Amino acid sequence: MFQKPTNDMEREPEQNNYSDDAVQTVVGPSVHVEGDFSSEGNILVKGSVSGNVRTSKQLIVEEGAKISASVRATDAIISGEINGSIKVSHKVELTSSARVLGDISCDVLAVEAGALIFGKIIMKQLKGAEATRKKTAPKAKTRKRATSTPSESEA
Amino acid sequence: MYVYLYDPFLRKRKFDSTMKAIETRLTDFGIAGKIVRLQQFTNAQQLIDQEIAKGATTIIIVGNDITFGHVLSRAALCDTTFGFIPVGPNNSISEVLGLPIGAGACEVLAKRRKVALDVGWFNNRYFVSRLHINPSNISIKYDDKFTVSGRDGNPMELVVCNLQPFTWKNAKTHREVQVHPQDGKLEAFVRPVLGKKIIRYVYDDPSIFPFQEMVVSSKKPFAVEADGKISKETKITIRLAKNRLNMIVGRQRFF
Repeated sequence: MFQKPTNDMEREPEQNNYSDDAVQTVVGPSVHVEGDFSSEGNILVKGSVSGNVRTSKQLIVEEGAKISASVRATDAIISGEINGSIKVSHKVELTSSARVLGDISCDVLAVEAGALIFGKIIMKQLKGAEATRKKTAPKAKTRKRATSTPSESEA
Repeated sequence: MYVYLYDPFLRKRKFDSTMKAIETRLTDFGIAGKIVRLQQFTNAQQLIDQEIAKGATTIIIVGNDITFGHVLSRAALCDTTFGFIPVGPNNSISEVLGLPIGAGACEVLAKRRKVALDVGWFNNRYFVSRLHINPSNISIKYDDKFTVSGRDGNPMELVVCNLQPFTWKNAKTHREVQVHPQDGKLEAFVRPVLGKKIIRYVYDDPSIFPFQEMVVSSKKPFAVEADGKISKETKITIRLAKNRLNMIVGRQRFF
């Protein structure tokens, strides 16, 4: 304890006591972001974003917020408006105030009553199922009957 | 050899007992050294360079957040180890660095746990604690990727934090929220102005953006305050200078 310190003492490796969840990007309610917006931490959108949004973690779009481009994240909780496709590797939650105009691609989807969606929903686990369904489905009849109805023959 | 830089406010009588306790503790640990009392117009970089030439190996700043910012914004280029003994009120950086206020910091100094800290840089100047731009019509471009502006062209306040925490009052809950910046990235807090009361502005909830480089520009000149020094600019580039400063820190540090 009372040892005289020397300069050549080794440097301690840097520690990081912050939990990863604490790293967050917040777009405030009266702020407008233009351009491709990406972050390594969680993103919370309360305002408007015109451009792609990408994060390797969670994306939260609050009620009243608007995103006008595609979105990529691991998880997403959407209560605002998104005009673009949503690609999420895990879970998408749409609350009652959500409005999505675009395709949704995810593993798990939770939709609350009142949420509005206009677009395709693609679940990755069933991605190959569409091709197999086309193969196994019976072919539609192409031939029409040659006989005509009495009303047609009169005319 | 240790050199101690004392802030002028430590001459006040109410700090006499604290200073005596600190000096006794430093002597106990065998790290007492030369004491230099700073003046209002002392050039910290020149002073530290002189002391290094005379054989100083460790520079210890004694004072508060203002002293810390004042010395290190000018001395960030000096190649030496820095320490900090926080004394009196207005000490928020010490908490981030894991240093107890008063004589308790001497024990941390004696342990010499060194960490290379990142320093903020803008227009050929360094800042250690924070950079502040008062509400003005600014446009902010982050990392050459996206631009941030007020929704209806409202003026915005910008605070870039490096070591000093940022505190604001939540408009909805009326609670004080404090964010401790982390090391490795600078954090920008943007608060658009919603209106103006008789004395002060009414702000919206802040937006938070971690970044590595940012360009702030405006048609009209705006005031930039970095570590207590104010200048007027029309365009500034803010960057992070990584591992610039060797600092003695405590075990309870935030990074």
